[in-house]
Amino acid sequence: MAGDGLTVPELDQEKYDADENVKIICLGDSAVGKSKLMERFLMDGFRPQQLSTFALTLYKYTTTVDGKTILVDFWDTAGQERFQSMHASYYHKAHACIMVFDVQRKITYKNLNTWYQELREYRPEIPCIVVANKIDADLKVTQKNFNFAKKLNLPFYFVSAADGTNVVKLFTDAIKLAVSYKQDSQDFMDQVMQELENFELDKKVEEEEEDDLSDKEEYDTHVAKPHIP
Amino acid sequence: MAYHAKKCGIRFQPPAIILIYNEQAKEKDRQRIMPVRNFSKFSDCIGAAEQLKNNPRHKQFLEGVSLQQLVKLYTVLKGHLQGQSLVESLQKIQQETVFDPDENLNKLDDKELKKRKNLMDKLFEKNCKKKDDPEFVYDIEVEFLQDTQLESCGWDDGSDNEF
Ligand SMILES: Nc1nc2c(ncn2[C@@H]2O[C@H](COP(=O)(O)OP(=O)(O)OP(=O)(O)O)[C@@H](O)[C@H]2O)c(=O)[nH]1
Ligand SMILES: [Mg+2]
Repeated sequence: MAGDGLTVPELDQEKYDADENVKIICLGDSAVGKSKLMERFLMDGFRPQQLSTFALTLYKYTTTVDGKTILVDFWDTAGQERFQSMHASYYHKAHACIMVFDVQRKITYKNLNTWYQELREYRPEIPCIVVANKIDADLKVTQKNFNFAKKLNLPFYFVSAADGTNVVKLFTDAIKLAVSYKQDSQDFMDQVMQELENFELDKKVEEEEEDDLSDKEEYDTHVAKPHIP
Repeated sequence: MAYHAKKCGIRFQPPAIILIYNEQAKEKDRQRIMPVRNFSKFSDCIGAAEQLKNNPRHKQFLEGVSLQQLVKLYTVLKGHLQGQSLVESLQKIQQETVFDPDENLNKLDDKELKKRKNLMDKLFEKNCKKKDDPEFVYDIEVEFLQDTQLESCGWDDGSDNEF
């Protein structure tokens, strides 16, 4: 049934329980620069896996943390509201979150509230980094005080995907946080969340009946090769 | 901020950007006329706006005026030089030259979102350090201190502070 199509990104999510795998999600409004940041960090040595119907791009990345090899999956999501129903799968088993806003657009900063609230519904504990992107557009913003992160006691980075400022630092720190979170937690929430998510998704399917067919097609094509080597 | 920008507009003849501002602790508004030089119907509006915003003589007065607004003013001027009416220019701007920074882009469809991204791409490309650039550095770290001494971004006030 249609529900299958919508759960695609949950595909293979069991692997995130394995020690050496971490999942990091990148969230924020449309056009804040999430994809540009990913691309800047990974340059072009990596071919992403695109799940366009689900507004999701997966990037695989291998690195070492404290001498251990770590396989990182970055989930680059889309901000568009019509993909709201996918959010549960984005959050599922994530070990860290990078939450981006655009220093040129107040609305994207204001919307952090909503993103953060939603994140905490699904993942109350995971590390979350707040990111002010596009500082190249107006360097003065870096001398201003942004209270959102401070209020919540979250790490805060000024970055630019265009000129590269602090991009590598952001991602390497996010990986470290994800790895140490994983070591410290047993993720017992996941089982419960799984139930809730399936419930949520089923409900949403009904409202999206018309997209149903194309979703399914997309699903079938991609399911065969979950990861491009 | 010592100067508080109130209004900023464009004059066609002779071309100038005109700013109405208020000096802190003074009651009277003042007007600053910033002549537009070397600008033609072929000029780059973003470049001109950035140049003005960074001009050492005008910079402190323009702190409260967004780059987008300046780009828009130059675009109106450019339209005028190309023989467009003001209404036409404004319409065109609405459609393609600058985006409304308050617009909620999460609600747009792919096509409209792409248009907005194309507009953003101009500045992105301009500031982008390419990999094949000899000056390219992969890992650039800059520390920006966030302490409470800093001026607020102005986006934190208001009703949705309940976090
Ligand atoms: N000046 C500047 N522009 C940027 C920067 N990062 C992104 N942009 C611009 O913002 C536009 C949107 O960036 P994307 O990376 O597509 O945004 P996104 O967050 O992935 O958007 P969705 O996937 O639609 O949610 C790009 O087309 C760039 O023009 C930056 O650091 N500086
Ligand atoms: Mg994107």
